[in-house]
Amino acid sequence: MKKFRLYYDKDVEQDWLQKMSLNGWALENFFLGVYTFVPCKPGEYIYQIDILDNWGGDKEDFAAFMEDSGVEVVSQWYRWVYLRKKADDGPFEMYTDIDSKIDQYSRIKNFFQVVLIIEVICLFMEIVAAIKTGNPLFWLLTIIIGFITLAILRVVWGSQ
Amino acid sequence: MDNNLPLTEAIFYILLAVRKPNHGYGIIQEVSEVTGGRLVLGPGTLYGAINSLLSKRWIMLYSEDKTSRKKKEYLITKDGKEIFFEEVKRLEELVQNAKLMEESV
Repeated sequence: MKKFRLYYDKDVEQDWLQKMSLNGWALENFFLGVYTFVPCKPGEYIYQIDILDNWGGDKEDFAAFMEDSGVEVVSQWYRWVYLRKKADDGPFEMYTDIDSKIDQYSRIKNFFQVVLIIEVICLFMEIVAAIKTGNPLFWLLTIIIGFITLAILRVVWGSQ
Repeated sequence: MDNNLPLTEAIFYILLAVRKPNHGYGIIQEVSEVTGGRLVLGPGTLYGAINSLLSKRWIMLYSEDKTSRKKKEYLITKDGKEIFFEEVKRLEELVQNAKLMEESV
């Protein structure tokens, strides 16, 4: 089963994956908002979402370490990683102390700050195009990008 | 060196677990065993801690098994041991001073 969703809050996204697992659907793959699920025993897996360091993060090293630690890397997309463990193996939480939790949120903040800068540049270009041509299509795009920018701004603000 | 102290609980126990060569899963298990299951390190917490300990040179990469799956083993360095014992000294002082409270009861 495939589902299309857009999440910008990884905690909400994680809760959703958990609910899907409880309903007997295990995430198999993620790509650009498309989540692929396969049937599983209800509650078979516990899911966690993590983000790698924007610049210093090493995808392969991270994945090898997690597999060695008994964690399955389900899917990786850009800096985002979807991980899971069988619920029978006990509780599964990626970050167990406050310092590492703060580190994770500051990685998320850094990621969205970069996205925010790109969005602001796009927004600016759309406004210029809209004013120059007077084409209503450009105004529509301006409004859409404006909303996306505001949503990202909220994330950056929320993860302070 | 003093601004490195106090160590977080996770760092303290990771250093202890690599007094002999140990790999990621082995560290999680040993820390859980010696604390009676009280401290179970999350794999993300452990990954971040190991990378920061490596960059501080408190631990080093001991071996890397390239034949089977990539399984890295880590070992404490001389610097790491020094920090560890400095922390133990600090903890002993805490426990020593805690006795003042007992005397007051």
